[in-house]
Parts: sequence; C-alpha cells; structure tokens
Amino acid sequence: MAQKDKQTPVDSYLGEKIKSREGSFYMFLWPVFSVLLGLAASGMMMLLLGHNPFLVFLKLFSFAFRDMYNVADIFAKAAPLILTGLAFGFAFRATLFNIGGQGQFYMGCVAAVFCALKLYFLPSFFLLLVCLSASMLAGGAWGAFVGYTKARFNASEFLISMMSTYVALAIMNYMLRGPLKEIKGEYPQTDVIAQNAWIPTLVPHTRLHWGFVLALGIALVAYFVLWKTSLGFKIRAVGMNRNAARYAGIDEKRVFIVVFLISGAFAGLAGFMEVNGIQHMLVQGFNPMIGAEGIGIAILGNAHPLGIVLSAILFGALKVGGNLVVQTSTIPSSIIGIMEGFVMLFVILSYFLQDKITTRRSKKELRSKEKGGVSR
Amino acid sequence: MIWTGLLARAIQMSTPLMIGSLAEVYAERTGMMIIAIEGIFLLGAWGGFVGAYLSGSMFLGLLLAMAVGVMAGSVYGFFTIKLKQHQIVTGTAINIFAAGLALYLYRVFFGVPLLPLTVEPLAPLSIPVLCDIPLIGQALFNQNILTYIAFLIMPAGYWVLFKTPLGLTLRSTGENPEAVDSAGINVEKVRFLTVLFASAMDGLAGAFYSIGFLGLYTNDIIGGRGWIAFAICFLGNWNPMGALLGALVFGLADAASIVIQTSGFRLIPNEFLIAIPYILTIVATIARKQFNVPAVLGVPYVKERK
Repeated sequence: MAQKDKQTPVDSYLGEKIKSREGSFYMFLWPVFSVLLGLAASGMMMLLLGHNPFLVFLKLFSFAFRDMYNVADIFAKAAPLILTGLAFGFAFRATLFNIGGQGQFYMGCVAAVFCALKLYFLPSFFLLLVCLSASMLAGGAWGAFVGYTKARFNASEFLISMMSTYVALAIMNYMLRGPLKEIKGEYPQTDVIAQNAWIPTLVPHTRLHWGFVLALGIALVAYFVLWKTSLGFKIRAVGMNRNAARYAGIDEKRVFIVVFLISGAFAGLAGFMEVNGIQHMLVQGFNPMIGAEGIGIAILGNAHPLGIVLSAILFGALKVGGNLVVQTSTIPSSIIGIMEGFVMLFVILSYFLQDKITTRRSKKELRSKEKGGVSR
Repeated sequence: MIWTGLLARAIQMSTPLMIGSLAEVYAERTGMMIIAIEGIFLLGAWGGFVGAYLSGSMFLGLLLAMAVGVMAGSVYGFFTIKLKQHQIVTGTAINIFAAGLALYLYRVFFGVPLLPLTVEPLAPLSIPVLCDIPLIGQALFNQNILTYIAFLIMPAGYWVLFKTPLGLTLRSTGENPEAVDSAGINVEKVRFLTVLFASAMDGLAGAFYSIGFLGLYTNDIIGGRGWIAFAICFLGNWNPMGALLGALVFGLADAASIVIQTSGFRLIPNEFLIAIPYILTIVATIARKQFNVPAVLGVPYVKERK
C-alpha cells in the first residue's frame, strides 16, 4: 500500500500530555475537585425543578450507603463500568479512540445470552466459561475490525467505531425480535437464562457477584500488560509518538489491531457481566449509556487502570443513589447524565490547570538554572 | 409513483446532512473538528421544538435552535481553542452532557405530558410551474424552506471557501496557522468565529428533524445523524460540493430505509434497513483512498511552543 500513514501532530501532542500528568503528588486531588465541582454544577440544575440540591445529594448518598444491599449494588454496577472504562482507556494509551465500546458491549451481550440459552445443559462452570469466552470473542472481533480498517485502510478509528455501534445495535435488536425472542413472543427480549449460567453471588442476598472480582483482575491484567510487557511498551510508544515508534521498528499496524482486539474484548466481557451477573436475560434498549460512561470514567481516571477502577466505583455510587432518588422524587433520571457530563467537563478544565502549572514550574526551573550559570 | 415519493423523501432527508456537513467542512478547514456535532444537533432539535411550541412561530423556533447551537459551540470553542484541550475528549463530554440536558430541560419546560407534544412541521412551499415537472418536480420544488436554503448555501459555501479572501484565510488557518498569524490575523479568533458559525448551522440542521420533519421532539430524534454529517465532511474531501454529493447519497439511504419500512416489504429485517446509512459510512470510509486532510486538523494553536 502506497498510502501515507502519517501521524497527525495531535496524536503526539496528546501523548505528551497524558504522560506529564502522571506521578505528581496531586494526581488524586484533581479528580476529586473536579467531581465535587461537577456535582455542585448539577446541583444548580436541580434548582430549576425547585429541588434543594443539598437535600438531594444528602438523600443520594444516604440511599447509596443505606444498607448492605445498596453498598453491594454499587460494586455490582461498577463491575461492567470498569470494563467499558478500560475499553476506552486501554486504546487511549496508544492514542487510539475506541468510542465504540457500546457496540462491543452489545455484541458481548448477544454472544453471552446466545450461549447461555442454547447450551443450558452444560455444567455451571463450563457454561460460564463458554459464555465468558464467547462474549470476549464477540466484543474483541467487533473491536478488531475497527483496528483492522485503521491498519489496512488508514480509516479514522473514531468514525468507524462510532458507526459500528449502530450496526451492533441493529444486530442486537434483530436477534431480540427474531431468533432469540422469548418463547411467549410478547416483548423484544429473551427468556430468563438457566440458573447454572448465572454468575455466583459474592455477598449473599445482594446482586454483587464474582464478576466484580473478575473486573478487578482484568484491570490488574491491563496494568500488567501496559507497563510490564513488551507489548505494553509498544502500545505506549505508539501512543507517545507514532513516528518515533516506527523508527524504533515497532509495527504500529499490528499494535492498532491488537489494541482494538483487547479493548473490544473488555467491553464484550462487560456484556457477559450484565447478562449473566445482573439481568439474567437480554432486553431491548438495554444499558444504552454504558459505553459513554466508560469514556467518562476513563477520562476521569486519566486512562490508568487504578484510576478507572476508582472512577467506576464513584459512577456506580452515583447510579445507585441517583436511581433511588429518581424513583422516590420528581427528579428525572436525566440528571444522572448531566452529573456525568459536568464531571467530565470539570475534569478537562482540571487538565488545563494541571498543564499550566507544569509549564510554569518547568519554566521557573529553567530560569533558576540560567541564573545559576549552569546553562550553556 | 413510489419513485417520486422516494426521491422527495431523499431530498428532504439530505437537507440537515447538507447543512451539518457544510458547517463541518468550514470548521475543519480551519483545523477544528466539531466532535460535539451530535450533541449540537440534539440541542438544536430541542431548541427548535421548544421555540416553535412556546411562541407558535417557526421562525423563532429556528432562531432559538441556532442560539442554542451557538451556546454549545462557545463552550466547545472555549475548551478547545482558549484552553487548548483535546477536541475528541471535549466533544465527547459535550455530547454526553447534551443528551442529559436536552431531556432534563424538556422536563423543566413541559413536565411529563400524557401525549407527546406536537407542532405543525414546516409547511412545504411549492414553487409554481417548476413543481409540475414530471418525476423530479415534486421532489425538488415542493419542499420546506430549509431545503431550499440548503441547496443555496452549498454552492455559496463553495464559492466563499475557494474564491474569496475570507475563504483563503479560513483554509490557511487549517494548513499553516503560523503564516496566518504572521500576516497579522488572529488564528484563535478565526477558529472561534468559525466554530460559532458552524454550531449555529448545526443547531439549524438539528431543528430540521424536530420542526422541519416530525413536528415533535424525542431524545433519540438524532440517533447518530450528526455523526453521519461528520462523516460526510470526510468523505466529501473537505469540499462543499463533495459534501453536497455525500449528503444526497446518505439522504437517499435514509429515505430508502424509511420508504421500505413503511411499504410493508419484508425481505430484509427492519433493523438492517435502519443500519444502512451507518454501514454505508463504514464502507465509504474504507473505500476512500486519498484524503485531503487539513494539515493541523485537531491541533490547538500555541504561539511559540517550546
């Protein structure tokens, strides 16, 4: 192929920025501030509907931590969010934009529910293993397609991953209306899957299942791959400076495909967790924001696995508390989206401030060096 | 008969895509991707509906749609141009925010109505004589005012971009901002004004779906069509005439899926008909070989970067 696959300057620009925000003492302080400001701003929105934001937030957090069931639910909600967060964050480390996590999640859901419904006779352990692998495979393949078009045709991964989400949605809706429709045939949804396809619960009498532990394990794996393997080195090198990586002999095209394969598998696994862990069936119009929330979580966590886990737990708490507030008052559920949006915007604002402080500090250092006569 | 209907629907559905992709072409020529396009479409649809419903005037609806678009665009411009933050990240945040905000504000204004609120959509204006041309007359000359505007601004947009000093400034800003800067033109100002113009157009395009076509507002009214306008800008090679062609093709795909769905033709499942425009975008993106990407697309302009 005689195409010019030049790196746009923006890619290396972004790589520098992610790196410069790391390792500072205040790394954890910034996101906390951003979250608080984001919540305060959404509080102003509540005034529009005549609600006292302080009472609403008090209610939200007292609901979220009211009893064991709700606390466990926070972590149950966080499990798939960790994975869709990783789906964006992992690719972001290579400065690739996987905004199709939603579609990869849907493919994972369809694969998991398909295996659970058709292979119900298998012993529980094997059935779960089959569902898990199928969801990762489906999500991974859906993601790898995006990486492949990037590598082979130099297509914009941003655009392709976005569009592939709508195709995945069509496939899921078709399966729910056709081949996988419930036996009763009334609604576009599947039957409840057999009990031996359910992920065992971690804390009895709650919805928290072993999937949360699995998600933590996956986050650890993502960390390990990124920072302790040669593949991870290549991924980060491609993310920092694509040209330099190429001169160093890294096959960036292979990195594109592998990164999207792994990212897609993460999002697909989130589908397995939602289907086999929580819902135990697949319903039309299911979890339509999980991909976008994953992006928010990854941004809030600076695309670091640990940051993603913490952010996902925070988003989980907002969801659990938020849902209960919505159910028990006249506040519409769209307030949750507004909170997430505000938090993201304040995180970006904090990026600006952090970068500014870093620049000022390095300028000062430079100047004091020059004064000391160390400079050439 | 079905062909006339299909053609008319295709022209109709390509209208917002034309307006939106022209806006995107202008913005990207100065180096700014408007990633927030999907959210601005949605806010425009919301603004158009609210304005038209509350005032009873279509004109005020369109005006509010553009105003809402400008507001969203100024937030986007502030973050990406003034604060020099990443465009894709900021745009994604605004899209998530817009989805929540539009639904929330609808509730603030209207509560929970028992029946969906509706307005009478923009009436078609038939142009005498011309609309009697067989086959294409009804399709081309019996549309609402936005369609005529769209057909006028595409060639006008081409002319401004390639034949006027203003267009030269815009294109240079996306190719070589340093040169524009040393010519004494404020790069950030050019970009900011272009983003505001483009978001006003995007708001207008969004309003087409609510008050130009359906006469109501729902939260999934845009359903990815902002992204399609975004893609058309790429596929049209950052040229208004290319975008016009692209918008017509996608309008046809959109219309075909609507017409086949309503005609009771059951060879292909509905879901896949709805997916046609998205599949087409993927295929077209892959098939497109030579791109004429503006040199500094997506890069903030930093004076004397060290």
